[in-house]
Amino acid sequence: MPQYEKILLKNMEQPGYSGSLQDYERTGGYQALRKVLKGISPADVTDIVKNSGLRGRGGAGFPTGVKWSFVPKDHPGPKYLCCNADESEPGTFKDRQLMERDPHQLLEGMVLTCYAIGAQTGYIYIRGEFRLGATILERAIEEAKQAGYIGQNVLGSGLTANIYVHAGAGAYICGEETALLESLEGKRGMPRFKPPFPATHGLYQQPTVVNNVETLANIPHIVTRGAEWFASIGAPPRSTGTRIFCLSGHVKWPGNYEVPMGITFRELIFENGGGMRSDSKKLKGIIPGGASAAFFTEEHLDVKLDFESVAQAGSMLGSGGVTVMEEGTSMVWAAMRLMEFFYHESCGKCTPCREGSSWLLQTLQRIWARRGRAEDLDMLLDLCKNIEGRTICAFGDAEVAPVVSTLRYWRNEYEELIREAEVTRPAKGEIPVFTH
Amino acid sequence: MLLEKHQELITELLSRYPVKRSALLPLLNLAQREEGYVSEAAMKEIAKILDLTPPQVYETATFYTMLNLKPIGKFHIQICKSIMCGLVGSDDLIQWLQNRLGIRVGQTTGDRLFTLSAVECLGSCGTAPMMQINDDYYEQLTAEKVGRVLEDLRREGTSPLKSGPFMFPQPAGSR
Amino acid sequence: MANQESDKFVTITVDGITARVPPGTLVIEAARQIGVMIPHFCYHPKLAPDANCRMCLVEIEKIPKLQTSCSTPVAEGMVVKSSVPNVEEARKSVLEFILANHPLDCPVCDQGGRCDLQDFSHEYTPTTGRFKELKRIFPKEYFSPLIETQMNRCIQCLRCVRYCDQVMDVQALAPSGRGTMTEIKHFSIHELDCEFCGGCVQICPVGAITSRLSMYDFRPWMLKRADTICTYCGDGCQITIQTKDNELIEVNSTHGAGRNNGDLCPRGYFGYHASVHADRLNHPLIRQQDGTYAEVTWEDALELIAERFSQIKLAHGADAFGGLITSRCTNEELYLFQKFMRVVLGTNRIDSSARYGHINGIQALRRVQGTHRWTVTYEDIVAADTLLLVGTNITETNPITGLKVKEAVKKQGAALITIESLLPIRGTISNITTLASHHVPVHPDYFGLAVLGLIKSVLEQGLATASLSERAPTFVQSIRSAVGKVPWETVERHLGLGRDTFVEAARTFSQAKRVIILAGQGVLRAPQGSDVVTNLLDLLILTGHHGRPGCGLGTLAEENNDQGAVEMGAVAEYLPGPSELGDQTARKNLSKIWGDEIPQSPGATLMDMLEEARTGRLKAMFIVGENPVATLPPQAKVEESLDGLEFLVCQELFLTETAKRAHVVLPACSYAEKDGTFTNTEGCVQSVRRAMEPIGESRPDWEVFSALSLLMGNPIEYGEAKEIFKEIRSAISGYGLLGPSATPPRIKDEVVDRYLQEGFKTDVEVRYAFEQENTQPDEMLTLASVQSLFHSGKFSTRAKGLLQIQASGFLNVNPVDATRLGLADGDPVRLSNTRGEATTKVKLLDRVPVGVAFFPEHFDQNIRGLFSLETDPQTRVPYFKLTRVRVDRMQEEIPGKG
Ligand SMILES: Cc1cc2nc3c(=O)[nH]c(=O)nc-3n(C[C@H](O)[C@H](O)[C@H](O)COP(=O)(O)O)c2cc1C
Ligand code: SF4
Ligand code: FES
Repeated sequence: MPQYEKILLKNMEQPGYSGSLQDYERTGGYQALRKVLKGISPADVTDIVKNSGLRGRGGAGFPTGVKWSFVPKDHPGPKYLCCNADESEPGTFKDRQLMERDPHQLLEGMVLTCYAIGAQTGYIYIRGEFRLGATILERAIEEAKQAGYIGQNVLGSGLTANIYVHAGAGAYICGEETALLESLEGKRGMPRFKPPFPATHGLYQQPTVVNNVETLANIPHIVTRGAEWFASIGAPPRSTGTRIFCLSGHVKWPGNYEVPMGITFRELIFENGGGMRSDSKKLKGIIPGGASAAFFTEEHLDVKLDFESVAQAGSMLGSGGVTVMEEGTSMVWAAMRLMEFFYHESCGKCTPCREGSSWLLQTLQRIWARRGRAEDLDMLLDLCKNIEGRTICAFGDAEVAPVVSTLRYWRNEYEELIREAEVTRPAKGEIPVFTH
Repeated sequence: MLLEKHQELITELLSRYPVKRSALLPLLNLAQREEGYVSEAAMKEIAKILDLTPPQVYETATFYTMLNLKPIGKFHIQICKSIMCGLVGSDDLIQWLQNRLGIRVGQTTGDRLFTLSAVECLGSCGTAPMMQINDDYYEQLTAEKVGRVLEDLRREGTSPLKSGPFMFPQPAGSR
Repeated sequence: MANQESDKFVTITVDGITARVPPGTLVIEAARQIGVMIPHFCYHPKLAPDANCRMCLVEIEKIPKLQTSCSTPVAEGMVVKSSVPNVEEARKSVLEFILANHPLDCPVCDQGGRCDLQDFSHEYTPTTGRFKELKRIFPKEYFSPLIETQMNRCIQCLRCVRYCDQVMDVQALAPSGRGTMTEIKHFSIHELDCEFCGGCVQICPVGAITSRLSMYDFRPWMLKRADTICTYCGDGCQITIQTKDNELIEVNSTHGAGRNNGDLCPRGYFGYHASVHADRLNHPLIRQQDGTYAEVTWEDALELIAERFSQIKLAHGADAFGGLITSRCTNEELYLFQKFMRVVLGTNRIDSSARYGHINGIQALRRVQGTHRWTVTYEDIVAADTLLLVGTNITETNPITGLKVKEAVKKQGAALITIESLLPIRGTISNITTLASHHVPVHPDYFGLAVLGLIKSVLEQGLATASLSERAPTFVQSIRSAVGKVPWETVERHLGLGRDTFVEAARTFSQAKRVIILAGQGVLRAPQGSDVVTNLLDLLILTGHHGRPGCGLGTLAEENNDQGAVEMGAVAEYLPGPSELGDQTARKNLSKIWGDEIPQSPGATLMDMLEEARTGRLKAMFIVGENPVATLPPQAKVEESLDGLEFLVCQELFLTETAKRAHVVLPACSYAEKDGTFTNTEGCVQSVRRAMEPIGESRPDWEVFSALSLLMGNPIEYGEAKEIFKEIRSAISGYGLLGPSATPPRIKDEVVDRYLQEGFKTDVEVRYAFEQENTQPDEMLTLASVQSLFHSGKFSTRAKGLLQIQASGFLNVNPVDATRLGLADGDPVRLSNTRGEATTKVKLLDRVPVGVAFFPEHFDQNIRGLFSLETDPQTRVPYFKLTRVRVDRMQEEIPGKG
């Protein structure tokens, strides 16, 4: 397996590393914070992050430093930092590892970010299912507080940075940043329309930055080792640094791989992931960036894993979840399974997303049950067109991606099922009766 | 009554937020941990604590799928049915579980020990198939392993097979 | 709002038409102004944009994706296209998505014919649909006795939920679940418990929430509409009564119309059946020897009255008559009644229900600032930056004025100071104190003391305006010395609140720019009502707010036309205007218009008339729509007074306790059957329009007065109500215009000056003195007779809709008291004091203060017997709303004790 220098997973992969404050300090933890508090201004920290080229790891890939700079400097009221630890995008499981194994790395990143944007409070919005992660974080916060890294008057510098864990309770949409804010305010997690953006009107209508766990975990390293160092890793200038790709599906060695951006899917899947689960089966499809990303085929194996390349090839790097599917996997089934997810998770705010997801799912289920009709395929595409770009949040675009892309590459599989519908009459019990 | 029992914790929770309503999910989660589900009485009490009307608590509670508004079994088995787990056999496991427990997805066993749910992705796709039982994750499941977990739970109320802090793949020599 | 801001405009082009609109205007509104209607579901001008339905998408130049016009504010030079193919196609698809799950049960849907979804589908979609899957189906669930949901029809725009929260501040509707299966519920499976304002029914763009009172009874196009004014409180809401074949079907209101701007309360929305109750009197009645009533013709009844009235006048003189009229009548009727009494019978012995409290406020306003009306409007309430509410419980007494307060606080961020007896505990009936930035919780006896505390704090903190000490040094000095005589310990002993409570409130109040004070029934109907209002005006003067634009004091009227009753001169002390009885100019002017003399002898108020009747001085009374027997407590001995009369005429809708003692009973029309005008609490004169033919042989009150005058040989004749209004217009300046007064009455500076120099002196010591001692024994509760949100007087207890929400009275007590007294929800209790006892049931309510119990005044007449009766020495207002009682659980009902 090729070795790359790891940044985020490096500590935790040391034998015996427990993630305790002691361990973290031993590996140079909280030095970045000390360095900054000794005399780097918040604006300079923001500039360092800007210059590092770091882009958000949560899905949209927005330049982090730029996002921070949108926060008004002279705002009279409180400002907030929210760490997006909702990690619910199917195929993604990196934040969980970062939190459970090296919580202080994230905490230090958060305190630094609070300092940079002038927030006195940071919330870690963690998906409710991650009980273990939440407990570990709570414990780490307590440790850091005792040690003076968190709380009132951090390290005697006068900085206030309170950090709290806030657990969700089961709703994928709460990973969308404005839904996250609504949820944090104790409401239903329904996204807000934008503008205004969280940077000016976020939590409690105050300026707020929302960043992903992995994004924030990078901050101490960037501060310690410098913007140039970070900007030289990966595929500069647009995709700097490493990313943790979450490999799943039909591969030999699934799991989290931290690699510099810009390696190819082939390298990730075949060199890191050990290739296909079953040597006799060829790769058929890839979901390149979590459930919301359009499918790739084996023809895309040499596409580079950086923001631009994946976008150019017609999908997105998204959350870094790479799912591999082998020959024999039905792509209609795959699209249907994903649609079940989207139907289940649509918050229901926007008409096209809400009604579209149930319509798309019913149609896919019908086709899968050999009850498809010739006109279904064009209608599916038409419905997708009517959802895409017409909703408040990107969920609408996400839910059509699997349908559109599987129809693009494997339309024949759909047609085959529809043809079967014409010749077979499934027995009664076989037809799924849709239950909303 | 939540407040009576957890006065200190609730005060601490409330102190975390400038707006009371923010403590709603934490309190609902607490209520569920307390009784296994969120009862109407709990929702009313939470409404009172947070200066909300009961419908405001209810609308929030019904949005989140982890919150059970009806009593469920002692062990809530939530097995992932999303595509990543689906690719590596979760459907078979669900079938197996249904047979083993003698219930269908969505049901609770007669002894009120197990409730079986099939849920969407829980963030363990690299160690699929997986399930969550109450607070704990169980990963890289096989029928045999699930069987052992069920036995453990029945006997001990807990199982050593549950996951610890996540790291996968394990780097060579890390343990 | 600053002037420079309103000078700024931005230019926007919609579909080629250019307009200049204020910055911040939403594109959808800008388009509307230009005349382009952008279809929408979730948008409503009253609500914060939510942009959920995606129906209003438009193309905006330079922005790649379509944008929702409901949530996008205009920007300079913005070019919007709303009828390009791209947009049309998006609309079509949104409708297609909505229709996918919407049942096509239009033929039986109450919304059919006035449904946005029908209209837009008609306009934008093809006739055939592509959706061939299963529609979403919710099991039918019972929602409430008055409001019904049909969730299959719901399009999830959440307008109802947002209205309930943002406008009403009620938060009783919960969207539950998520995705397509989101369903509007209350709390779990429980039936709806809320204010029942009907707002959700009205704001639903489809037929998902409907009124059960009219369910399946009509098709909208069959209905005849009449825009009129509600009679259930002084707010003066415009309602549209809809009838089918002279049958009352439903009541609605319209956004943008009326002082209520389309909002209503349960009384307005669900209370309309009172008018058509089966007990309505259909014929004139004459009492027979044996005490029974015989139905007679109008001729017989009127002739008998004319004859008896003439005989009595001959035998005993004009002042043997007394007249009492309800302020639920129209201005025209009130005016004509007093004219009849004064001109035809020749007496000033007239009173109306304004006597029960409204007059207290009027007298204070006249005294201090020379007006009898508010000098501010509802718009000023909304624009205020600080509001002070004293003894209002505004949600239940004047719900729509309450909405203006809520709007000021919730949308404009105004500070709210409440001196109320409610505790700030939230429930699904709104509670204004939960919105307060400064809440002073006081027992209902001590509103006056709390006002004193506030003034004391203002003076102590040196917050009184400096210039006042020059303008009126003795005024400031006298008040300072008077409040100085009430030490904080006294305040603390009675209110349980000391100096600290008032510090912030006094500061906020003093430093505000636009301040409004609202005084409610808790002040007006309690001892020293007029004094407390005067003190509140002093507070405005002291802080320099008095006379400043947008600042002022308003009193909240309980009955719809309390204000009109006073202005029409239907009270003992005033001629129309109102002008003092002894005002020579006014008398001259009036006698010219009337062509008749105005009686010289002094008037007599209600309590005085009853007294005179008892002593035999008063021989006959003409009572129109009032029911003093049931209103006043037994110590008033109303029955005795009335039974002693030689002749009693009652003009009524129902055979009330009072009417049952009359010699002749005349059937009157309800507001729904007549034309005229009402003047609301804010001083806005509005048209009342006939919505249906009179029930039975009932006639509008004014017609009866006119007919009687004819028979008595002193004809005052009018062809229709409008002609009376014409005369009112010449008799009272200011009645030239209908509708909201464009310029509210101005404070008369010379009156204020006179008050500040001399006027205040007469009673400043008394007004600021506090002598009451807290004599409430521990085991007793203060019992307050209060108004319920669901009823108004006794009239509404005939409305079947309202009875379904509240059919009887309960004793509301705080759980703390309940525990102390060993009471549980629903327990039967005996209330007792030296005056007697009564029984009722207990209902626990968190917001009731400890040591206090509330009972709705509309029910259980036996409770009246417990109240004390006290008549104001100055304003002759009878006070009978407070008492102290022992509350005991009734033993016989306790199961299995011992
Ligand atoms: C439907 C949806 C789900 C999302 N879920 C997540 C998530 O689970 N975790 C996350 O970090 N970002 C998620 N995002 C992205 C966030 O909205 C946001 O872009 C991100 O948290 C910003 O952080 P970053 O700039 O550090 O990436 C989601 C976005 C959408 C539209
Ligand atoms: S696009 Fe879907 S998930 Fe996003 S806000 Fe709209 S309805 Fe909710
Ligand atoms: S009206 Fe604009 S999205 Fe509904």
